[in-house]
Amino acid sequence: MLPKTRKKALQKEIAAAEHARELVVDVLMALQAHYGHVTDEAVFEAADLLGMTPMEIEEVATFYTFIYRRPVGKYVIHVCDSVICWMESERPLLEVLCEKLGIAPGETTADGLFTLLPVCCIGYCDRAPAMLINRKAYGPLTENKIDRILTGLRQEG
Amino acid sequence: MYPQVLFQNRQPDRTATIKTYRAGGGYRALADVLQQNAAARVRQVLLDAALLGRGGAAFPAGVKLSTVAEDAPYPRYVVCNADEMEPGTFKDRVLIFADPHQLIEGLILAGFAVHAETGIIFIRPEYEGAAAILEREVRVAEKAGYLGKDILGSGFDYRIVVHRSGGRYICGEVTAQINALQGKRPNPLQPPPYPTEKGLWQKPTVLQNVETLCCMPHIVAKGADWFKNLSLTPSGAGTKIFGISGRVQQPGCYELPMGVPLSEIIEDHAGGMIPGSEFKACLPGGASTGFLPARHYHIPMDFEALKKAGNRLGTGAIMVFDHKTCLVGVTLNLMEFFARESCGWCTPCREGLPFIRELLYEIESGRGKPEYVPMLQEMSRHLWHAYCAFAPGAAAPLASLLDEFEDEIQDHIKRKACPFSALT
Amino acid sequence: MLKLTIDNQPVAVPAGTKVIAAAEKLGIMIPRFCYHPALGSVGACRVCAVSVLKGPRTGIQMSCMLDVEDGMVVATGDPAAVAFRRQVIEWLMANHPHDCPVCDEGGHCLLQDLTVSGGHGRRRFPGKKRTHRDQQLGPLIQHEMNRCIQCYRCVRFYREFAGYPDLGVTGIAARVYFGRFREGTLESPFAGNLIDICPTGVFTDKPSRYKGRRWDFQRSPSICIHCSLGCHTTVSARYREIVRIEARFSPTVNGHFICDRGRYGFAYANAPERPRQGRIDGETQPVSTALDAALERLTTVSRTHGPDAVACIGSARSSLETLGALKRLCERRSWRGPFLWPDAQTARAVQTAAACLAPELRLSMKELEDADFILVVGADPVNEAPMLALALRQAQRQGATIAVCDPRPVALPFAFEHLALAPPFLADAIRIFARAAAGPPQAGVRASGGDAHPPDPNMPPAVQARLAAMGATARTCRRPVIVCGTQIVNSRTVARAADTARMLKSADKPAGLFFVLPGANAFAAALLSDENGAFNTLQAGIADGHVKAVLAVESDLPAAGEGLAPALKSLDLLVVCDYLNTAAARAADILVPTRSVFEEGGIFINQTGCAQRAAPVHVGGTPVAQTGGGDHPPRTFERSIPGAEALSAVQALDRLAGTETADPPAALADLHPVLAPFASRKWPDEGQLLDLSSEAAPSADWPPEEPPAAGKTFELVVRERTFGSEALSQRADCLRPLEKAPRILVHSDDAARLGIAAGDRVALTCAGGVIEGTADVRNTVAAGVVIVDRHRELNWPAAGAGWVRIEAKQIHKIEKERER
Repeated sequence: MLPKTRKKALQKEIAAAEHARELVVDVLMALQAHYGHVTDEAVFEAADLLGMTPMEIEEVATFYTFIYRRPVGKYVIHVCDSVICWMESERPLLEVLCEKLGIAPGETTADGLFTLLPVCCIGYCDRAPAMLINRKAYGPLTENKIDRILTGLRQEG
Repeated sequence: MYPQVLFQNRQPDRTATIKTYRAGGGYRALADVLQQNAAARVRQVLLDAALLGRGGAAFPAGVKLSTVAEDAPYPRYVVCNADEMEPGTFKDRVLIFADPHQLIEGLILAGFAVHAETGIIFIRPEYEGAAAILEREVRVAEKAGYLGKDILGSGFDYRIVVHRSGGRYICGEVTAQINALQGKRPNPLQPPPYPTEKGLWQKPTVLQNVETLCCMPHIVAKGADWFKNLSLTPSGAGTKIFGISGRVQQPGCYELPMGVPLSEIIEDHAGGMIPGSEFKACLPGGASTGFLPARHYHIPMDFEALKKAGNRLGTGAIMVFDHKTCLVGVTLNLMEFFARESCGWCTPCREGLPFIRELLYEIESGRGKPEYVPMLQEMSRHLWHAYCAFAPGAAAPLASLLDEFEDEIQDHIKRKACPFSALT
Repeated sequence: MLKLTIDNQPVAVPAGTKVIAAAEKLGIMIPRFCYHPALGSVGACRVCAVSVLKGPRTGIQMSCMLDVEDGMVVATGDPAAVAFRRQVIEWLMANHPHDCPVCDEGGHCLLQDLTVSGGHGRRRFPGKKRTHRDQQLGPLIQHEMNRCIQCYRCVRFYREFAGYPDLGVTGIAARVYFGRFREGTLESPFAGNLIDICPTGVFTDKPSRYKGRRWDFQRSPSICIHCSLGCHTTVSARYREIVRIEARFSPTVNGHFICDRGRYGFAYANAPERPRQGRIDGETQPVSTALDAALERLTTVSRTHGPDAVACIGSARSSLETLGALKRLCERRSWRGPFLWPDAQTARAVQTAAACLAPELRLSMKELEDADFILVVGADPVNEAPMLALALRQAQRQGATIAVCDPRPVALPFAFEHLALAPPFLADAIRIFARAAAGPPQAGVRASGGDAHPPDPNMPPAVQARLAAMGATARTCRRPVIVCGTQIVNSRTVARAADTARMLKSADKPAGLFFVLPGANAFAAALLSDENGAFNTLQAGIADGHVKAVLAVESDLPAAGEGLAPALKSLDLLVVCDYLNTAAARAADILVPTRSVFEEGGIFINQTGCAQRAAPVHVGGTPVAQTGGGDHPPRTFERSIPGAEALSAVQALDRLAGTETADPPAALADLHPVLAPFASRKWPDEGQLLDLSSEAAPSADWPPEEPPAAGKTFELVVRERTFGSEALSQRADCLRPLEKAPRILVHSDDAARLGIAAGDRVALTCAGGVIEGTADVRNTVAAGVVIVDRHRELNWPAAGAGWVRIEAKQIHKIEKERER
C-alpha cells in the first residue's frame, strides 16, 4: 500500500486535474517510485485512484518504456542502442555492460543493484555512446568510464 | 559567425534566467501583443514568416494556428511537443537547457493566438532534467505575471502544465500524443477530425515543436521579413538548430541560417570529419529521412532543397557516416529501432518492420540471399500504405539504402560477410 | 446518393458510406480483417486496400477508411492493390503459426481464406515466429494468442460494443497482446461472440473443440429459443450431436451477435438422459406403443369421468405448431386447456402485452438502438433477455438516456439510472413519468395514464421527482421508448406502459414499445390461451379430484425443484410428451419422447410479434459419442438410426386427437386471425410480422393496487438469471461454472429489521412450500422486496408466480445453521 500521505497528495493532484485519466502516467510513476516497479497491487491502486479499471491501467502501463511491470534493481540502466551510440562504440555498449554485470538484457544482478535494459535514442548523440542510470545521462562512455561509474554506484550500494 | 537568435542566451552548462532572457528583449513581444489584444496579428505574422514546423513534418505553423476556427469551442489547448525521440535529434533538449523562457514565451504566444487556456509541455522521460527546469521556470514566469489569470492586465488567462511521458517514440506523433495526454494507449488516430478541431478532450488543440515555439517570440518581436531574411536561401526562412553527430570532430547543436550548405556545417562548424574519415553519407534530419550520398555534400540545408533531392530536412539532426561505416548495419540498427517502437496498430508497421529487420540482419550477418533485395525494395514501397507516418518514415532510410547503396548490399551477399567488419 | 464505379459496375450509396460497404452492395467482398459492419472502420489491418483510379486521392487506399465520392472510380483487382494485399498477408503470416490442421478455426478461418485466395504459399521470412502465453478464459472460450493478427476486433467488440471491462490490449509493437488482466473466466455474457468475430483462431469455441470442421457439420439456420427475443442462429450438428451454435446475421433482431446463453444452451438436445424411447408404467416401450397406450388411457379417463377430467398443459418453449396441435387436441376432445402459463398473473401480463402491441408502436431491436430515451420497467435485460442489454448499450453509446425502474439489482454494461421500486409501484411510476412527459394539459389532447388515482403516498417523494424529471427529458427526445417486462409485473403495469408509449408517439416522434416476455413462444402462447390458461388455476381442479388425468407437453410447469408439484401426485394418469428428462417426465405413467427444435424445427413468435421459423438441423437420434462409447465408426450396422424414434410433438398430438395435420403451418391459420399469413406457402427470410391491428387496445382503467403495508408485508420477486434459470440452457454443463450462486436478496434496511445478515440461511414459507436459501443484502434491491433466484437449488416454484405478496412473518432466519 502507498503511504497515506503520498496517497493523499496524489488524490489531491487527481482532484485538481481537469480529467483524472490524464495523470495515469504520473500516478504509475509515483507507485513505481514507492514499490520499485509497478506491481499488480499498484495496478489496482492506480485503478482505484483514477477511477479506471485494472485492465485500462495495464493497457497503458505495458505500453511505456519507463514503466516497469516487473521487478527491477535499485539502478535501472537504460543503454542507448540507437544508431549514433552503436556507431560510436567500439563494442556494443549493451554487450559490454552484460559482461561487466554478468547478466543478460532485461535481467537484474543477483545483489538487486542493477537492471539492464536497452533503450532507443536518448537524445545524447552529442555525447555518444551514452546511457541513462535512473534517468541520469552518462556519456561519452568508454569501458573504463563504465567501470568507474559501476564501481561508484556499487559503493553507494 | 551567423546571427544567433534562439541561442542568443546559450552559455556552456548554464541555463538562462528570466533576467537574462528579459535583458535580451524577452517577453516584450508578449507584452506588446497582449496590450494590443492582437491575437490575429500573431497568427498573421507567423503565416507571413513562413515558419515551418521544426519537429520533422514541416507543416506551416501559422497555418496550423489559423485552422482553429474563431467560433471553435472552449477550452482550447496548445501542446508543446518536447517528446524529442527521433534518433539523432537532441536540439530541443539543448534549447530547453539553454533558454527555457524563450520556449515559455513562445508557448504563451501560441496560446494567446488561438485563445487557449492551457499550454501543455509533453516531455520525454529521458529529459527529466529539462522537465524539472521547465517546471521551475514556469513558476518563475507565473510570479513574473506572464502566466496565470489576467496576464499583464490583458484579461488573458493561461497556464502551463508539464506532462511527463512514459517514453515511446510514437508519442511524438500528434494524435498519439493527444491519446497519451488523455491517459489512453498512444495509438495514432487518423484524421478527420483534425486535432485543431477535435483534439485533446475533443477540444481544439494545436501541437507545436519546441523549436517552432522558440522561434515565435522573435518573429512576433521583429517581424516576418526579418525572419525570412535570416535564411541564406530564398526558399527557406529563419535559422535552424542543426544537431550534428556521428563521424565529425565536434558533434553538437549549432544555430545556423536555413539553407547553409551541408559541407559548411560539417567542415566549419562541426570541426570536419574525424581524422582518417571520408564522408560517405548522412541522414540529414533524423532516422526517418533518407541517406544523403556524397554527391549532395554541398546541398543547401533547407526544406525545399532537400525535398528536391528526394529527401527531407526532418528535424535537422544530421548523422554523419564515413567510408568505414556499414550502411547496411546502420539501416539494420534503424529498423531495429522502428520495429521496437511501433505502436502495434497496423500491419505494415507491426509486422512489416520486423520482417525487413530480419532480412537486413541476415544480409549483415553474411546469410543474405540475392532475392532479399527485390523483397526489400517491394516492402519499402509497401510501408507507405501504413496507418500513420511512422512506417513511411522508416521506409526513408531503407529506400535510400536500396537506391543509393545497393552495391553495398550486394557486396554483403556476395562475400557472405559484412565487408566493413574487417575495417574496424 | 452518390454514384461511383467499382470494378466497372456503377453503384449509388448515401454520403458517408465507406467504399468497402459500397462494394459489398455490388456483391464484391473486399478482403478485410479489422473492418466489421457492426464495429466500423479503424484502418488497422490494411488488407482492404483498393486502387482509386479517379477520386480526391488516387492510388492505393484503404477501402474501409475511404468515404465514397461522386464520380469515384475504384478497382479492387488492380495489380498494385493486389500486390499490396498479398504483402499484408505475407506480413501477417510471418508470425502466424502453420497449425491449421490442429486449429479449430481451420475451414472457416478468414485468414486461411485470404492467405489461400491471395496466393501466399511460400515462406520467405527467415526469422522465428513470435510466441505468446495463452490465458485460461473460462469454460466457453479457448485462447491461442500465437494465432493473433492484431485486428483489434476482439477488444473493440468486447469493450466498445458490449461494454465489458475485462478484456484489453497490452504491450506494443509485435508483442501486442489481447487478453485479461489476469487469467480467468470472461465476465461478459456476450463473450462467445469473440469466437465469431475473431478472423482467425485466437478465440475458438471450447466445448466443441476438435469436434469437426465446418464442412463436416450439418448446418441449418435456426432461431434461438432461450428467451423471447428470437435471435437468429446457425446450428451445426455432427454424428447426431448438436455441436455448435453461432450467430446468424439479422438486420432487425440480433444484428451480428448472440448471447452466451443462446450459444451454449443447446446441450439438452444431446443429453444422455434425454428420453429416446417410450415408457409405460416404468417399462421401456416403442414410442408408438406408448402413444397408443396414452390414447387408450386418456380416452378411458375421459369416458369414465367426462372430458373435463383430462387437462392438457404446455409451455412457451414449444413451437407454434405444437401449441396449435395442443389447442386443436383440447378442442377436439373437449379436454381442459391448454394450460400454458405457470400462474394467472403472468398469463394476464403476457396476454395484455400481446394485445397492446399495436403495429405502430412496436419496435425491432435494431430500431430500439435508435432510441434516444429509454425507460425500462420491470425488466432485467441481462438476465431475462441478454441481447436486449446489448441493444440498449448501442442506444446509450449514441447518446440515449436510459432509466430502469425495477425492484431487482439490475446491472447493465453502461451508465444508467436505476430506481429500485417494488412491483406495486411500477404502474404508478409509469404514470408519474407519463404525466411529466405529456407536459402541461392541452385541450383536445388525451390525458395519459388513464386513471385519476394520485401517486401512491408510499412512494418516496425523491423517487417521484426523479420520475417526473425523466418524463420531462423524454418529452424533449426524438424517439422515447418504453421497455416493459412481464415476469414480475401485473397486467396493469403492462397496459400503462403501452398507453404511455402511445401517448409519447406523434407524427414526428417515432416513440415505441418493446416488451420482454417469459419464453421463446410466449407471444404465441398468449394468442392461443385465455386467462384461465394458467397451471395454478388447474391445481384446484386436481386437488378436488375433478381432474383425473394430465397430458403435459414439453412443459416445465409442474416441476418444483427436483420434486413434482404435490397436486400432480394425486392424479390417476400423467402422460408426458417431452424431449427433456424433466421431473414430470420421470414421474409420468406414460412417457412419449418428442423431437427438439433441432430435429423438428418450428415457428416461434418473438416478443415483437414476429413469427420466425427455425429449420431442422439433423434427423437426430442418440449421438454417436454415446452409442459408440467413444468408438467410431460403429461396429454394428443397422438400417435405423439409434434413438431417433421420437415423433414430433405435432405428430404425437395429432395421433391423440385422431387427426392428421397434412400441413401444420397452414392449419395454424384457423387458430387465430393473426395467424392468417401461415395459410400462404411463402415464408419471408426475415420472419413474418403478425398483423396485430385487429386486436383491441385494452382499457387502462384498472383497479388500484392494494398498497403494501410497510414492514408487515413483502413483495416476493423471482429473479431470472442469465445462466441457471431458463429451462433449456440450465441443462448445459459448460454454463454451470458461469452460474452465480443463487441467493435470497433483501434491502439492507429490511435485512436489519428482519435480523438477517448476508450469508445467513433464510426460509420463506409460501403457499406452495418453503423456499430455503442463503441471504444476500444489497442496497440496490428495492425496499420491501424479497428476491429469490430462479435456480434449481432453490425451491422457487413454491412462490407460485413471478411476484407474490408475503407477510413478514413468513420470512424466517434459520438459526445456527452452520454451527449445527
